[in-house]
Amino acid sequence: MKTTVVGSYPKPKWLLRMIKLHNEGRSDDKVMNEAYEDAVRAVVKDHEVAGVDIIWDGEMRRDEMTSYFARKIDGFVIYGEVRVWGNVYYPKPAIVDELRYREPLVVHEFEFLRSITDKEIKVPITGAYTIVDWSFNEFYKTKEEAVYALAEVINRELRNLVKAGADYIQLDEPAISTRPEELEIAKNAVEIMTEGVNAYVGMHVCYGNYSKIFPDILDFKVDQLDFEFANRNFEDLKLLKEYDFDKDLGFGCMDVHTRRIESVDEVRRAIEMALEVVDPKRLYIDPDCGLKLLPRDVAFKKLEVMVKAKNAVELEFGLT
Amino acid sequence: MIATVVGSYPRPKWFREYLKRIEGLQKDLDVEIDAEILRKAIAEVIEKQREAGIDLMTDGQLVWHDFLATLATRIEGFTMDGLIRYFDNNLYYRRPIVKDRLRRRGEILWDFKLALEIESNLKPVLSCFTLAKLSKNEYYSNFEELLWDLGEIVKEEIKGLNVEFVQFDEPALLFASRNEIEIARDVFREICKVNAKTILMTYFSSAENVFPEVLDFSFDIFGLDFVEGFDVNLKLAKEYDLESINVGIVDARNTKMEDLKDLKAKLERILEFAKDVYISPNAGLEFLPEDKAFEKMRLVSKLKEVFE
Repeated sequence: MKTTVVGSYPKPKWLLRMIKLHNEGRSDDKVMNEAYEDAVRAVVKDHEVAGVDIIWDGEMRRDEMTSYFARKIDGFVIYGEVRVWGNVYYPKPAIVDELRYREPLVVHEFEFLRSITDKEIKVPITGAYTIVDWSFNEFYKTKEEAVYALAEVINRELRNLVKAGADYIQLDEPAISTRPEELEIAKNAVEIMTEGVNAYVGMHVCYGNYSKIFPDILDFKVDQLDFEFANRNFEDLKLLKEYDFDKDLGFGCMDVHTRRIESVDEVRRAIEMALEVVDPKRLYIDPDCGLKLLPRDVAFKKLEVMVKAKNAVELEFGLT
Repeated sequence: MIATVVGSYPRPKWFREYLKRIEGLQKDLDVEIDAEILRKAIAEVIEKQREAGIDLMTDGQLVWHDFLATLATRIEGFTMDGLIRYFDNNLYYRRPIVKDRLRRRGEILWDFKLALEIESNLKPVLSCFTLAKLSKNEYYSNFEELLWDLGEIVKEEIKGLNVEFVQFDEPALLFASRNEIEIARDVFREICKVNAKTILMTYFSSAENVFPEVLDFSFDIFGLDFVEGFDVNLKLAKEYDLESINVGIVDARNTKMEDLKDLKAKLERILEFAKDVYISPNAGLEFLPEDKAFEKMRLVSKLKEVFE
């Protein structure tokens, strides 16, 4: 039983100011990079103090989970922003040419993090299906073709990542639960992305209705499936029981959509419910999703509570 | 042939930033919006349509957070719930809940009226069936009662507008049950008694689900999606001899610019039987970034020029 994170963490306010200055051309790339590195150091410290076992860099360099990668891959352009809901917009990429590998997507993030911590590291990267689903496709005849082409690009990055020393990769595929009819495409894409990648692979799925992707999701070739449970009151654990869940479980047990800090006791009870489904060895405890939308002190406290709850369960069951 | 648009248009960037500043991510009511700022934004979007060569324009629905919330928050009886995916788009709307008897609190389309002060050649874009269908009904004993009350409110609103055209965007009809379609028929027959040309827009799918009942809805113009459902809609339009059609022919959900020759060939097949033709993108343009939305409107007007 280990604690981990899904990926993002609130950016320090000073970093947001630095990014703004940099975008306005008022600070150079060298200073900006130093700021990113210092922000990562701060995030790592928060995670270490909270006692999280497997960490990531809080995605300090990533502005968003689609366009950040699209900007680094040949074949994508970004014309502008479109609405997701209300006043929330995102820079939606468009595929205008063959998708080709150009530069590292995450290896540089991993290498820096590796250089400043001895903790176990998980490297999250947005999966091919989700990036294509959240982009316009002007080039490929079908969406399926576009997904597979992007999966090849990501595969190259994941191989490089393993060469650089990474051993735990998480594919973020929030879009797959919103279009269950295209699950097969996403599944094939996972196989392309992980081909020859000698690492432990998890897949994070959020947003949608899980009942529509079960049991087919169990056929994905990944070691771990990571779901959000807290924001639906852990009801989805029923699905895992119903379909004989036989993978490692990433157990989202902290609600990222509320600022309320859960009590250690309620999280402990949640973890006990998860243990009815999987063995402790196969349980990875984490928040429902990335923490970036929470205030930083709330995000930190949630991690602290999560770790305390896990320690309480281990003590109770004599697992340490 | 008339070049038109379906309804929504991307907000100008400065206006988007203004809204975010005063509303945060989303507000239930839009009372705090400065009328002069809104007027400036609407004028900009109207000017863009004119520049692109659009004949029959809209106000761009610039303060609408989604297709339902604006109407729902301005009609008494609704409260707003969490986010739900809007059909098969990566766009989310807040689900309205019907908590009480629906009542017209006052003017609903005040933003459209503001736009009319700038330009008179505009059509208002509303929804009745789709709003009712995508809402959660916790008050009425059945869908029929809900739709009748909403229909009455909408009809009252149109009466006060004094416009030549009024459009109903009703994508939910394409996924409705037979019984719901029959209820919609009765309600729309009543609404369409208003003194304006009525347009029914459908999109995101072919329209076979609403035929043949839709012929008795009393709409003057049928809007069909010839991007998502070209073959089926062509067959339906021919079979039922639709004379007045709004042809949604330019893809409003992809930045790819269609080849004018392909569009011409498609439209020619529709012109074989249709007499009174409006051409437009297949849905509102807010699915696209600003620049591409403009290019799509240009494409619509160029297509019209081909036939002139």
